Amino acid sequence: MKQTLILFMQDEPGVLNRIASLVRRRNFNIDSIVAGRTEKNGITRMTLVVDEPNREKRRIIYNNLKKLVDVYDVVDATDENCHAREHALVKVSIKPNEFKEIEGLVAKGNCRILDGELDSMILELSGNESTVEESIKYLKKFKILELLRSGKMAMISGNQDKNNPVLIRSEPK
Amino acid sequence: MEKVKLTGAEIIWECLIREQVNVVFGYPGGAILPTYDALGKYSDKVHHVLTRHEQGATHMADGYARASGKVGVAMATSGPGAANMVTGLATAMMDSIPIVCITGQVPRPAIGSDAFQEMDISGAVIPVTKHSYLVMEIENLAKTIKEAFAIARSGRPGPVLVDIPKDLQAEEFDFVYPEEPILLPGENPVNTEINLKSLKEAASLIAKSKRPVILAGHGILLSGASTEVIELSEKGDIPLSWTLLGSGAVPASHHLNMGMMGMHGEFAANNAIQKADLLIACGMRFDDRVTGNTKTYSLDSKKIHIEIDPSEINKNVPVDVALIGDLKVVLTKLLPFLEQHKNSSWTNKIEDWRKESKSRDIINMDTEVLYGAQVISDIWKETNGDAIVVSDVGQHQMLEAQYYKHDEPNTLLTSGGLGTMGFSLPAAIGASFFNSDKDIWVIVGDGSIQMTITELATAVQENANIKIAIINNGYLGMVRQWQQLFYDSRYSETPISSPDYVKLSEAYGLSGFRVTSRSDIPNTIKEAQNIKGPVLIEFVVEQHDMVYPMVPAGADLDAMISRPVHEQFKDAEM
Repeated sequence: MKQTLILFMQDEPGVLNRIASLVRRRNFNIDSIVAGRTEKNGITRMTLVVDEPNREKRRIIYNNLKKLVDVYDVVDATDENCHAREHALVKVSIKPNEFKEIEGLVAKGNCRILDGELDSMILELSGNESTVEESIKYLKKFKILELLRSGKMAMISGNQDKNNPVLIRSEPK
Repeated sequence: MEKVKLTGAEIIWECLIREQVNVVFGYPGGAILPTYDALGKYSDKVHHVLTRHEQGATHMADGYARASGKVGVAMATSGPGAANMVTGLATAMMDSIPIVCITGQVPRPAIGSDAFQEMDISGAVIPVTKHSYLVMEIENLAKTIKEAFAIARSGRPGPVLVDIPKDLQAEEFDFVYPEEPILLPGENPVNTEINLKSLKEAASLIAKSKRPVILAGHGILLSGASTEVIELSEKGDIPLSWTLLGSGAVPASHHLNMGMMGMHGEFAANNAIQKADLLIACGMRFDDRVTGNTKTYSLDSKKIHIEIDPSEINKNVPVDVALIGDLKVVLTKLLPFLEQHKNSSWTNKIEDWRKESKSRDIINMDTEVLYGAQVISDIWKETNGDAIVVSDVGQHQMLEAQYYKHDEPNTLLTSGGLGTMGFSLPAAIGASFFNSDKDIWVIVGDGSIQMTITELATAVQENANIKIAIINNGYLGMVRQWQQLFYDSRYSETPISSPDYVKLSEAYGLSGFRVTSRSDIPNTIKEAQNIKGPVLIEFVVEQHDMVYPMVPAGADLDAMISRPVHEQFKDAEM
């Protein structure tokens, strides 16, 4: 079972290093990490997906991440109603007579053609994990030359207090 | 406040003095030269102890912190100097000891170029510190050092490293000390309000319990909660047992104190834990050395866990009620909910178990052979149980825990979590800088002493008033014990030779003694006590003795191996 955690942290050098190091040394597996700037200056938001079936053990990684000095807060989105999206770029080897088959995928709305050369085509896939997965599966009928996935980024629906991070600084006691 | 033009190096010392630091343990070198150069201006306020190795500096800072409750400070240069601090940082991290390490770094323009003695120490120590810094702007220097101290001592304490480039130490800056409070993202005031419902649940479990046991951990010392724990124990008539680092949290002589728990714990304590219907864990973390097999650990008991660090809850052993917060605060709130209680049949049963193990105690054996346990027991008697003891790692460490009966908090300093051999000598030197009227005794094996024996020179240079008792059995004794029990007595690489410790003492310039018979122990201890300054005594003890009882790693906690009944015991009625 995958655990989706949303981290809010201070935009400081080395913070990514600290998180990766913590997950590794507590013996968890990182499925994906996506991080970037947010609506708040100086705060980086990360979606961290960890592969850990044991619910109690998942609590350990959550509590340990919260202990990091640079981390404001961690929200566990695993059991929340949340939108988790990911991007993939795929370069496929394709013949002009096969273009039509790609158009079908584009029409579904989860695929955009970024460029089409004579010998290949770069496609952008987006959506939740399973739609991206399905699109990739479909594209396997062509020769995939390159494939890369961004990893998941997640946002929880609604505006409930329990899902809102505490973004305050306070005095160590 | 008025601005003063200071160099980065001067700012470092100014900040340390503001943190009430009056002793720094360190070793100079290229990248920290400007800071050592500036030390002269502050030497009336700060005493610098020149160690013989940077690992020693970190253990000294650690020993000082353990003895005093203050933050210990160690200093070193970049690269190898900083790298030598890693063991000391990891030791402090595992045992939640507040130390701040300050390291020099190569000049900023050279960072990342594999410059001479360059190493990314702030990155390397991420797993073994609470936090680490590389200061890149002089404006941030004072604030960073202030933060480092705040982090080291707050919450569950721990080590922090601050890495400072050489050119920044030399840079001039209009210095104003940052008086404003430190505010950090990771310090969300979590659970400052202790949940009333959980408190009542805990109180009701305690009231209902017939066979309760308190597990007393290091958190009692860190929180200063001895009085509250004793009150809990007496009010509820609850026997208690302690972890290695919880030694002294409750007086050993207290009638409800069963002694140490775990791998080399007391028979009565481990039995009581396994048969309990309630465990109240106070500032401890269910380490594998105290639980044995967690699948069979105290299966019939409800568990209350009082702990400052939420990440320890349900980590190793699932608990029924968790009270998160500073132990003293939590207990102060919990105690009014409790009523006077008697558990006579339970405490009587425990008393019977305690009598049973006394009959196998080596201390009661009438023999001419010199045993390590007897040495430690005699040191306890001759010091009236009132010394600060710094033990190292191995058989002697467990014997110390069993035979030196600590009645006061913070009087046993030992590396529990990491089990760092070589800890004791430097840690004792560090502790000697805490203004205490107590004698300081190092109890160390012949293996451990040889790991950091270079610090004898530091002890002599500083005339540190420490007494070093080497329990020499000619083996890496604890490893040998495991080889005897679990590796069919194949003593692979455990016989170890020693230098002539008496001659070595003479060479280093301290008094050295050798004791080979039991009758000579008390007089030699007395002689050592009369010498002001470092003294070394080598006790040549029985080579093949083992530490009993023992729970093999991963075995059930009550599956203890007891000391075989020797010939000498057979007629004795005890």
